[in-house]
Amino acid sequence: MRLVAIFAAVAIAALPLSAASRPLRAAQDADARASAPRVVVDGYGRKVAIPAQVNRIVTLAPNLTETVYALGLGDKLVGDTNDCDKPAAAREKPHVGDYVNPNLEAIVALRPDLVLATSANRVDTVDALGRLGIPVYATNPRSVLEMLDSLQRVADVTGAREQGANLVARLRARLDALHARLADRPVQRVLFVIWDEPLMTIGRHTFIADALRWAGAESALSSDQSWPQISMEEVLRLQPDYIVFAAHNEGARRDLQELRARPVWRDLDAVQMGHVVDLSEEALRPSPGLVDAIEQLAREMHPDAFGNQTGN
Amino acid sequence: MPLETKPETEFGAPRPGLAQRGGSFAGVRAFRPVTPRRLVLICAMLLAVLFVAVVIALRMGTFPISIREIVLTLFNGAIGRRAEIPSDYWLVVFGLRLPRIALGILVGAALSTAGAGYQALLRNPLADPYVLGVSSGAAVGAIVSLILVPRLPGAIQIAAFVGAVATIAVVYLLGRRGGQLDSATLLLAGIVTASFLSAVIMFLMTTLSGRDLRGMSFWLMGDLATPPSVNMGWLYFLLVIGLATIYGTAADLNLILTGEQEARHLGVNVNRVKLVVYLAASVLTGLAVSVSGAIGFLGLLVPHVMRMLFGTDYRVLIPASAIGGAILIVLADTLARTVVAPTELPVGAMTAIAGAPLFIYLMRRRVR
Amino acid sequence: MNVLTGRGGLAAATAPSAEPRLKVEQASFAYSATDKSAPKFTLGPVSFDARQHELISILGPNASGKSTLLALLAGMHAPLAGRIALDGTEISKLDARLRAQRIALVQQESELLFPLRVWEYVLQGRYPYGRRLRFESEEDCLMAGNALAQVGADALRDRWMDQLSGGEKQRVILARALAQQPLLLLLDEPTQHLDIGGKVELLRRLRKLTAERLYTVLVVTHELNLAAEFSDRIVLLHKGKCLRSGTPAEVYDRATLEEVFEAPLDVDTRASGRPRVTLRGSEHG
Repeated sequence: MRLVAIFAAVAIAALPLSAASRPLRAAQDADARASAPRVVVDGYGRKVAIPAQVNRIVTLAPNLTETVYALGLGDKLVGDTNDCDKPAAAREKPHVGDYVNPNLEAIVALRPDLVLATSANRVDTVDALGRLGIPVYATNPRSVLEMLDSLQRVADVTGAREQGANLVARLRARLDALHARLADRPVQRVLFVIWDEPLMTIGRHTFIADALRWAGAESALSSDQSWPQISMEEVLRLQPDYIVFAAHNEGARRDLQELRARPVWRDLDAVQMGHVVDLSEEALRPSPGLVDAIEQLAREMHPDAFGNQTGN
Repeated sequence: MPLETKPETEFGAPRPGLAQRGGSFAGVRAFRPVTPRRLVLICAMLLAVLFVAVVIALRMGTFPISIREIVLTLFNGAIGRRAEIPSDYWLVVFGLRLPRIALGILVGAALSTAGAGYQALLRNPLADPYVLGVSSGAAVGAIVSLILVPRLPGAIQIAAFVGAVATIAVVYLLGRRGGQLDSATLLLAGIVTASFLSAVIMFLMTTLSGRDLRGMSFWLMGDLATPPSVNMGWLYFLLVIGLATIYGTAADLNLILTGEQEARHLGVNVNRVKLVVYLAASVLTGLAVSVSGAIGFLGLLVPHVMRMLFGTDYRVLIPASAIGGAILIVLADTLARTVVAPTELPVGAMTAIAGAPLFIYLMRRRVR
Repeated sequence: MNVLTGRGGLAAATAPSAEPRLKVEQASFAYSATDKSAPKFTLGPVSFDARQHELISILGPNASGKSTLLALLAGMHAPLAGRIALDGTEISKLDARLRAQRIALVQQESELLFPLRVWEYVLQGRYPYGRRLRFESEEDCLMAGNALAQVGADALRDRWMDQLSGGEKQRVILARALAQQPLLLLLDEPTQHLDIGGKVELLRRLRKLTAERLYTVLVVTHELNLAAEFSDRIVLLHKGKCLRSGTPAEVYDRATLEEVFEAPLDVDTRASGRPRVTLRGSEHG
């Protein structure tokens, strides 16, 4: 114990001068070091040294987990977050905590050679991992097209360029087809409900607003705030064509019967006409599944363009 | 020191011989509560506890690593033999756990000392480091940095510190009365400023996008998970300056606690002491809040616990609070990162969970 | 260095002499809300002096300037005009710690925030003698013990301050002042919260301390009869003026007291030769 005492003390004393302030570098596996890492610029504009061979990936957000699986790299994924639920196999992977505050030690313990992060993670987390010598590639898509772009970049850095190119081409084709189909349709004005008590909706610079535009719709409220809180009075004035519920919590999901019984809500044209869409929040993550969600929204809001009447 | 000598009075010569003490000698020991010897003993005892806490914190965590391996890593690290250490161990011990412990000690010592200082300055046992709005000012700074430069590492800490310092200045200007700090006016000014800043925070939060909002609410709860990119040496330098400054006023604070007016009559420069304590305690708070967010409860709880253990004398209370705060936060943080691992809990919640029962136990024991 | 020379004068003055220890010469003071507005309340000019072994009572109705005079004597303010000197040194020019070594003030005790033992409280009186971090020396402890003994509160030493009776607390507060080893002991209405037994006990003790030790004691009080009984001299203040000063018999003049206190009073002389003030009987039939 005496030894522990002396050296812990020495180490702590030396710490401010050395370890904490100087970037740490994990020794790479011998075979990975054989070919030099290449340096790429990530979505934050950071320079990241990507090892030539990426075999152990940790993802720090659900959309990245989905992306990794969509690229067929599920077996290289060695860890993800508590929030990663799609596909089902992702739930079986070791977790590193939630995405706002992942456990750095758990990440280190998984010995990743690449960590994928997104704008949902805190800059501090990305920065701390970088200082530990773990390469972190951060994505920051702000629109649907940027999502496709960042998908290709993730495919590049994870050594799945081919799969990525194919996937992006397929998604792009579906979006173009949708765009063509909705070209002459009127734009539906939507109240997109993020949270219902208090009532929160989306601003026009958000990712979701862009997804809505691909589905032939726009937010009824045009706000520069990201997640503006609005009053029922304002909703009544706006009289949106459709109401989309994409709330975080199950309790916020609304079925039509219940809405029709609620004061004020029942007076909205959209509610009376049954123009209410229930969407899981997860569907609108910047991941390949987003295109599914956009198609679903388009079907619901432009049933005639798809030649079917089973919108509700 | 010719100034110290007194004219002959009934007390006799200024330095009474041993013979004169006579029978009262037995009582003299009980009469001297705070001797440097006692102070050193208490500090040594607390440092030993802190050492145990640090060992526990080094040992516990998601990454399995034994005491022996930790000792070897520390040993090789200390003598500069990096190559001998498996890279994982190096990362976990020197990259993660030690910086986190060092940050915890810094924050715990700063907040607890600031709490003790504020309690004397405001003559209010309910005062905590955040009562004068320093943390709210830091939060405003942090949010502004998240809005303006969301992607710049280290910006949030610097902006938070700037916000804290600005708040310290404003509250000082508002809290003066007749050119000097008045406890009641200062408290009022601080509370009003804090409320105003909270409203500003609410307003600014609506302009933040979702990810920053979650990051911000995490910051507001306080955490030690990500060591700041600011050089830790500087932070410790500021800590030591702040602690030493407050400690220099310890004897004065004892008297001010008994009564400001009485302290004046006993020769204390009350205005100067209050200003010094206000500035030092506020800067310590700003320092802690900038690097770790607003970790709650610690600054209120630790000084009271130390008072119950070692008495109200600030000459003991200040160092005891500094070390005690470090102990509590290191243990609380160990709990926070292991209880439901890999998920981490906010360390502020853990300080309350670990500290409140101790506080209540000591309080009950005292009352009998 | 002024202080040093002042100290020299002080040492000389402690030799038994008729030279007064405290000299108040034409001292005046005025409060005002701001620097520019007209003074709100004025005191003085007041003149009197006090010697060793003297107990002087400062009397006067409310708002007569007693507290202001006390603040001047305690060195909290400098007089606007005139001079207040202790052994030849102006009090307001003394450094705070040196002042606290010479002058002790007993006030009503403020409410304690955290519990304190009696001996801890009395040791606070040694603050002006402390050095850098002010750890008490054995000498400090001895002085504090002496102070407690002088007020007959030895037995209270280990009690908590907030568990003392009014009389006990008053004695402990006095002990803290004595631990300062002051030359000048000021007491602000020390009898306020005491019953009649406590009042007499306290004043007897002060009388005894004044006689046996080298203190000069000034008591601000409302108690006309107790002041007459125990004081060597009386300073009577009225509307900021020093109306009279002298022995109780000289000051206690019926017409003057009636004017000052605005009440019908009778003054007679007791067997001891000291005056006694009673309310004139008419209202009680």
